[in-house]
Amino acid sequence: MTRSRDRAAANSPVVHKEVGDTAVGNTTVRLAFPPQARLLGTIRLVVGIVARKAGIDEEGIEDLKVAVSETCAVAVADLARAGLDSPIELDLIEDGERFGVEVRDRAPVDGRSVGGFDMEDLDDRQFGLALVGALVDDLDSAPLEGGGHRTSFWLRAAIGTTD
Amino acid sequence: MDLDLKVRRQGDYAVLEVAGEIDVYTAPKLREKLIELVNEGSYHLVVDLEKVDFLDSTGLGVLVGGLKRVRNHEGSLKLVCTQDKILKIFRITGLTKVFPIHDSVDDAIAGSGGGQ
Repeated sequence: MTRSRDRAAANSPVVHKEVGDTAVGNTTVRLAFPPQARLLGTIRLVVGIVARKAGIDEEGIEDLKVAVSETCAVAVADLARAGLDSPIELDLIEDGERFGVEVRDRAPVDGRSVGGFDMEDLDDRQFGLALVGALVDDLDSAPLEGGGHRTSFWLRAAIGTTD
Repeated sequence: MDLDLKVRRQGDYAVLEVAGEIDVYTAPKLREKLIELVNEGSYHLVVDLEKVDFLDSTGLGVLVGGLKRVRNHEGSLKLVCTQDKILKIFRITGLTKVFPIHDSVDDAIAGSGGGQ
């Protein structure tokens, strides 16, 4: 199954594509949007809809919305600092019993801490990522080839395990 | 998406009712309002978060900034919140130890009903 919404995207800053099911049953919804903070609310709405359709419970949906919003906000801020407006890409991944997220941006920033809360040392960016780390599993941030970052995580609750 | 802010006086307190989503885009509006209140001499604040649908780390930072400002004037900043999804953000960041969080504005002003 592949659905493209390019026509609608022509009038919207957010590009939304469902890129399809793979042989192992993954479904990925891929979004690309300009690094603008005003769009984060729209991104949260989309995340909420996709997660609800995937069978995530309400608490999980809220955790995902916070985690995605924080991660994208970090990317928005880093790109703004670098004077770049290259799009942020967001994948929402149903992988059997798990729900994952990957955020990619092209901001040339050295490393991103994904540690816990050490309030003395945290700047705003690290605080946001620490919050993400407290809400989801397997938070990872790695450099992208050619510059930028790929930040990924998985929702704790398995799909369909709660009402 | 917008953030709606309403201020009313109740006893010695300025009650700031916040409605909408507090994120990196809208938090500056909340920060400005808190600064404005302190600059006007309102040092005892109750921030009512019952109509807040979303709160991120930027919003937390703004509230902490507001708390620091009122404390500089020996004031107070109390929160009203009963929503689990918002309380969870305060809990996992340890800020339930920093903010008094109450079940209602009346409880906040009476100084009881907290302990979320």
